[in-house]
Amino acid sequence: MDGELVKLGASLIAILALAWFAKLLKLGGDIRISDAAQARAIASETVYGFEPTDIVLDKAGIGALLKDAQGRQMLIRRHGVAFVGRLLDRKVDARLDRNFLTIGTGEKAFGKVTLDLGEAAQYWAAGLRHLPA
Amino acid sequence: MGGGAEAFARMIPHLPNPVDYTVPAFVLLIFLEMLWARRRAPEKYEPKDTLVSLAFGLGSTVAGALTAGAVLAMALWTWQYRIVTIPFTWWAWIACFVLDDLAYYVFHRTAHRVRWFWASHVNHHSSQHYNLSTALRQSWTGFIALGFIFRLPLMLIGFHPAMVFFVGGLNLIYQFWIHTEVIQRFPAWFEAVMNTPSHHRVHHATNPRYLDRNYAGVFIIWDRMFGTFTPEVEEEPIRYGIVKQLGSFNLLWSVFHEWVGIARDVWSAPFRYKLGYVWRPPGWTHDGSRDTSDTIRERWQENQAWTNSTSSSSAGVPGAAQPLAD
Repeated sequence: MDGELVKLGASLIAILALAWFAKLLKLGGDIRISDAAQARAIASETVYGFEPTDIVLDKAGIGALLKDAQGRQMLIRRHGVAFVGRLLDRKVDARLDRNFLTIGTGEKAFGKVTLDLGEAAQYWAAGLRHLPA
Repeated sequence: MGGGAEAFARMIPHLPNPVDYTVPAFVLLIFLEMLWARRRAPEKYEPKDTLVSLAFGLGSTVAGALTAGAVLAMALWTWQYRIVTIPFTWWAWIACFVLDDLAYYVFHRTAHRVRWFWASHVNHHSSQHYNLSTALRQSWTGFIALGFIFRLPLMLIGFHPAMVFFVGGLNLIYQFWIHTEVIQRFPAWFEAVMNTPSHHRVHHATNPRYLDRNYAGVFIIWDRMFGTFTPEVEEEPIRYGIVKQLGSFNLLWSVFHEWVGIARDVWSAPFRYKLGYVWRPPGWTHDGSRDTSDTIRERWQENQAWTNSTSSSSAGVPGAAQPLAD
């Protein structure tokens, strides 16, 4: 039993050391969505066959909203050094504050995202109000 | 257990868990891969993701220790009913290793095709990164998912549980080093027989072309034999993770999210569909409102066929692409 606890303790120290080392080496980085083409590619990776006809990027490139010809809307955002997305097919928690649109998908673990969409924020906020409950 | 079997059991050498001896090497190799990443591709590691993966590994060890007694008891109980008694000789070790790898293939394929098993195995796939730390992203709930039952046939044949668990440890060790993007391809003969980083990258991909392929543990021959092999192709960069990416570094959510999903679906489904959310493939719904790997691949194949039919320069089978050069 003592031997098992020693192994457990050593493993814990090792994983903390490795995580610290990853930070020390500045692994990871700061990724942004640079243009509509990249947002389109991320959306297609998120839901195969999703072809956006309307795209708005966050001013800092941390996320985007997209709409396809069927009227489906998708939120994409960065997650570490990758991107994740969700189809917004149900009523979402959306709050508009001038150019900033805060969206909660209803998934607690996914969290809320605040996007700076400039003047387009109102248009996209209006689109989110029409989602089914 | 009869007297003869008890005498045989007393003759069994004490076999250590080989994984215990390789953990320092795992740590060292991750350390070296991080140095590589710093020079070549810092985005291959994400510190938070790495910490979650390593915590998965640690938690999995604890969960394994807590349930080891029960698993061993079930293995020994099964071994009572063995067809023959296989001795601890060199050929038995080889046979056991190969058959255990076949059992792993069956387990692994089931783990991707039956949601109950996937709820546990999804943990290994939920990182959007593919590096050596991902290899340690092991499930905490393998016992609940009953993953150990896939090894029981080996005990029924007559391999002693100690031998089966030992070769299972070797299998796990082999699978560690293939979780890397540092190595591209090995010589053709090696790629033909063994599971390699290239083959296993395909397995971790979410691209429709690659979904649910290359289930092998050590020998890729099982996938070639049973029609589940797909090579890595040059023109399609791999995207890692799961079809619906987690979007969270919360460890507990990462561990239990699919179990929570099953519970919610079973609760809300009409009575006659409830079990379907347990035993059907991940993504299955009674109303077809979500995608499974099969539906995604079908759409992709239709799209490829349409693209090929409208392109005068294209020829060959839908979705055909050039494998990476051997």
